Amino acid sequence: MSSHTLEQTTAVQVTDLRMRYGSNDVLHGVNFTIRRGEVLVLLGPNGAGKTTTIEILEGFRRPSDGQVTVLGVDPVTADEHWRARIGVVLQSWRDHGRWRVRELLDHLGSFYEPYSEPGRQRPYPTDELIETVGLTEHRKKKVSMLSGGQRRRLDVAIGIVGRPELLFLDEPTAGFDPAARRDFHDLVHRLSDLQDTTILLTTHDLDEAEKLADRILILNHGRIVADGSAEELAHQVVGSAEVRWTQGGVRQVHSTTDPTDFVRELFAQESAAGAIADLAVQQPSLESTYLTMVAQQEVSS
Amino acid sequence: MSTEMAAVRHATACGARRGRVEFANSVRAGSDFAYYVIVSVIFLTVLFLARNETVEGTDVSVATFMLPGLIALQVVVAGAYGIATVLVTEREDGTLLRLKSVPYGMVGYVSGQLVRVVLEIFFSMALVLIPAAFFVPGLLADGPGALAGAAGYLVLGLLAVIPLGFVIGSVFRNPRSVGGWGLLVITAIVWVSGIFSPLASMATWMQIVGQFTPTYWLGLGLRSALLPDSAVLVEIDGSWRTLLTIVVLAGWAVAGFLLAPPLLRRMARRESGSGVAARREKALQRV
Repeated sequence: MSSHTLEQTTAVQVTDLRMRYGSNDVLHGVNFTIRRGEVLVLLGPNGAGKTTTIEILEGFRRPSDGQVTVLGVDPVTADEHWRARIGVVLQSWRDHGRWRVRELLDHLGSFYEPYSEPGRQRPYPTDELIETVGLTEHRKKKVSMLSGGQRRRLDVAIGIVGRPELLFLDEPTAGFDPAARRDFHDLVHRLSDLQDTTILLTTHDLDEAEKLADRILILNHGRIVADGSAEELAHQVVGSAEVRWTQGGVRQVHSTTDPTDFVRELFAQESAAGAIADLAVQQPSLESTYLTMVAQQEVSS
Repeated sequence: MSTEMAAVRHATACGARRGRVEFANSVRAGSDFAYYVIVSVIFLTVLFLARNETVEGTDVSVATFMLPGLIALQVVVAGAYGIATVLVTEREDGTLLRLKSVPYGMVGYVSGQLVRVVLEIFFSMALVLIPAAFFVPGLLADGPGALAGAAGYLVLGLLAVIPLGFVIGSVFRNPRSVGGWGLLVITAIVWVSGIFSPLASMATWMQIVGQFTPTYWLGLGLRSALLPDSAVLVEIDGSWRTLLTIVVLAGWAVAGFLLAPPLLRRMARRESGSGVAARREKALQRV
């Protein structure tokens, strides 16, 4: 495959990425790729190296060692044209508190004006974007007057105002209420489907990871310990599903790697063993996968 | 590389608009507006009370003598201290990181600060100069030539102090330390810059320290343009020292323009989300 087509199919390529602060190794040789158009979720406990990884990809941090290619360029040497093609959703605190919502979004968008490409008009039209993130009725409010959830929606709007090809979100829904969280998930789906945006996000919320991710990476102690879809991870790690049923008034539980085959056998013997009721097959959840994974690592390390 | 130049120019223009919005927001904000008004009222009261006294050995009104020095003080406070505190504060609250995440955002940030501070200085100067013109004797006696000279010194003064503000703001990290120590330094500068009475009449050590401050030289330059020639007698060496004034102010400007860009780049390079988050944690822990 030529490097040109590689760049067309691969948004991020990370090879043997290492990060060391003093004598403390935070990343020990991390490898992964993100395909164009993919939604990749980076999971891991606190201190696993998620934020360090994402900041290296954003070009905000210089790695100690390893090769990193983001949209075909090494972020350390990338120029401002590259900067215009990526979006970063920051956790705001009290910056630009005196600005009005529309005024701020329009201003930050104006920096992208020289960077339009065929099929990608930059920036996003301000009012359309405000509508997209549901802030239309607050567009004239001062930023300091927004609620926490509204402010995070503004953060997302600022992150995507340049119509990025690749978007980074570091714990975007921390502090969201359930409704705001669902709206945010819809927005991510829309960005991914309609705008053809590649998305990398970190989260602590396993349910969120399962809903959004095309693929999940689990980072623990500076190493990638799992890579795959939620179902694949469940299969790799926990391996077994749980089958529950009642037979002859007695509740039964059985763990199996092939629940379909097990249930077929169960019904084949029903006439001999008595009628089956309350049958349930439970696939391992991402939560049990994740906890098993992190626990295994704790034991082995 | 002409597209690169065009991109930088575009970001500079975005920044200029940013500066205008920030200035308008500042004037609209009650706390900032009160600050502008209170400072002007204090300056005007001092001038008004001194309008009938004359500087010893001359027929120049003390108010006329003081006004150029007060303007110089406004320029130095808004330019150096103002920019430094804004820079450190906006690094802590994530404004800078926000700009760093858009293309040529730092160029826009710096040009925005420039425009904001120039507008702020002109605004606060107007708040003092316009009322003062009614009661400070002989302020506009020398006509348009004097005003043109004063404007020239003002531009030189801005060029000297604004880069200085960026240098101080990019070196210090804690907004509260810049605020506190900065205030002490400003008080000292007011003391030794010969604003309220001629530096020549003060202790030798104060004359030496005072002649290192841009405030003194900008004040001297403005006096040389605005005051009658007879007022020169109260200055050090009985001279306006025009060439030296220009050399010292230009020296401050050159030093600032050499130091500010690399320091600003170093500061911007160090900004990241986790850095801002860590500072936020630290700031929130202080009760």
